[in-house]
Amino acid sequence: MSKSLQQKNTHYFLIWLPFVLLVGTLLFYVMLSMHVHHMQKKQLELKQANISNALITKPDAIAWHIFGEYDIVKGTPIPSDRLSEPRDTSIFYADNKQWVAFNICTKQYSVKGVPYQLTTYISSKEITHLIIKVFIAEAFIFVLLLGAVVIINRKSSGVLWRPFYTTMKRLKEYDINKNQSLQLAKKTGISEFDQLNQVIANLINEVNQAYSNQKQFVENASHELQTPLAIIRSKLDLLINTPHLTEETARLLGDITDANDRLSQMNKNLLLLARIDNNQFPEQTGINIAELIEKLLVYYRGYYDEDLPLIRKSVQRDIYWVANFSLIEILISNLINNAIVHNTPNGWVDIQLKNNELIIENTGYSIAGETDQLFERFKKGREQSKTTGLGLSLVKQICHLYQFDLQYTYTENIHRIRVGFEQIQAS
Amino acid sequence: MKLLVIEDEPSLLESIIQYFHQEKFVCETAGSLHEGIRKIEDFQYDCIILDINLPGGSGLQLLKYLRQNKKGDGVIIISARDSLDDRIAGLDLGADDYLTKPFHLSELNARVKALIRRKYAEGSSTMELGILKADLPSRTIKAAGQQISLSKIEYDLLLFLMTNKNRVVSRRAIAEHIYDGPSEQVPSFDFIYSHIKNLKRKLKEKGCNEIIQTVYGLGYKLSL
Repeated sequence: MSKSLQQKNTHYFLIWLPFVLLVGTLLFYVMLSMHVHHMQKKQLELKQANISNALITKPDAIAWHIFGEYDIVKGTPIPSDRLSEPRDTSIFYADNKQWVAFNICTKQYSVKGVPYQLTTYISSKEITHLIIKVFIAEAFIFVLLLGAVVIINRKSSGVLWRPFYTTMKRLKEYDINKNQSLQLAKKTGISEFDQLNQVIANLINEVNQAYSNQKQFVENASHELQTPLAIIRSKLDLLINTPHLTEETARLLGDITDANDRLSQMNKNLLLLARIDNNQFPEQTGINIAELIEKLLVYYRGYYDEDLPLIRKSVQRDIYWVANFSLIEILISNLINNAIVHNTPNGWVDIQLKNNELIIENTGYSIAGETDQLFERFKKGREQSKTTGLGLSLVKQICHLYQFDLQYTYTENIHRIRVGFEQIQAS
Repeated sequence: MKLLVIEDEPSLLESIIQYFHQEKFVCETAGSLHEGIRKIEDFQYDCIILDINLPGGSGLQLLKYLRQNKKGDGVIIISARDSLDDRIAGLDLGADDYLTKPFHLSELNARVKALIRRKYAEGSSTMELGILKADLPSRTIKAAGQQISLSKIEYDLLLFLMTNKNRVVSRRAIAEHIYDGPSEQVPSFDFIYSHIKNLKRKLKEKGCNEIIQTVYGLGYKLSL
């Protein structure tokens, strides 16, 4: 599962940082203890030096024993291997009835030939308390540090990656069909993102160029085809008027004429597709869809006469699209014409225009192949040589241009095409 | 009637000339812009059929020149360019009609005749052909004095056949002529059959039997 960059980053920090901090804390404790021992040893030695000095210079004026401070003993009761090194011990205080930990150190001196042993005391209780307090403070600071690092990291990565997210948003909005150029910031303040934007901009430029060349090629090719098509058509018009045509030549001429007509129609549709691709239909007006459907139905009633299937319709009258009139006329007439032509005997067509959808249903034979390819260029539902295979791709292209949602479904001999749109109220 | 055809594609030019010769037009031709301009300076034509893409420049330049010199020759543009802008540009400069390639010669013929009728035969807005008589402003056709009741499509159909009398007119040409829906999307011409059938029946009722013949699978011909 993919996580966001920020989550991933925080995740790593939360795994590794506490570990690092724990090791750091242990190290800190060990070092702190070592320093404390060293300090106590120095203090004990200082006390030894002071008291032994007093003992040697004024042996009579000094107290032999001060509780918790020092002991002076005549003779050598402590074996020599325990001298000089600090030792741990504890002393019972009768006032508040508790044992207190002490650090002691014993050294041996000789005053006028008599050996003495001097033991100095330093309480280790306070220093232990200090260690604990320092340690707690340190742990608290470490936790604070952990939180701060995570928060700062999140904040800074949000700021650092902002150009990246901006670029990504722009790329998401980019649509090659709309022939727009992509505007990316040249100076983001971060050289990697500057480079990224530069690379993307170059790529998009190249893609745009290639796409526009291709579109231009289709348009030019279609235009150039018109003249030879016109020549063939005019020659055929002359040919069918030559006297003494035999039935055989007439049949051949008929086939050639049909093929040429299909070619002309296909070329016209290709040209139209190319022109839509090239944004050559910029003019827009508010179009009343109910009126347009009514007008088209009048055409079809006139043309198809008794061949027309039963047409039912329920249309909402106040629906307007803001679009190019020619294109919308082509869109709707293609859909209705399709529903009429690809019908069954005694079939029907049902047209519904509602708040945000236009649904055209008709009876018809099942479609061979994938239904989602139906709107691709040169895909035909059934082997019908008379169609150009471009009608529905025109529909798709026009829907795409105006961001209409186009859906096709087929269930039990009923074809259903739905065009979803956002209702715009004409004022 | 005098006709000037300015078209750089010799093969297409030849077809047009051949067709209009049969219609008893006197035809002149030009293959380039300058040749065209020379011809319109020397003569006046009833109708000029003008291609846009010509060697030496755009046909629109010729049109501009023509109108600037107050010449009233009728002009029909034939062009491979079929966008609305191209049409508007042509008509704005004073063209009388605009036909996109590829076109049917029968359609061009109908356009030329309609133009000539509009321009020169102001008084006579009727077209007579044997016992058939069409009254154009009221869109009615009489057979031997009796009015035939025709639907809009049947009227257009009969008039188109009358304009192209004694010629085989292909079904496609008829379909494109009478269809006035979205220009790019002419529905399949199967719908012609039933209209021809009805028209034949109505003509038969008025005593004009067999004047429309079906020519194999190619099209229809009205002969009187």
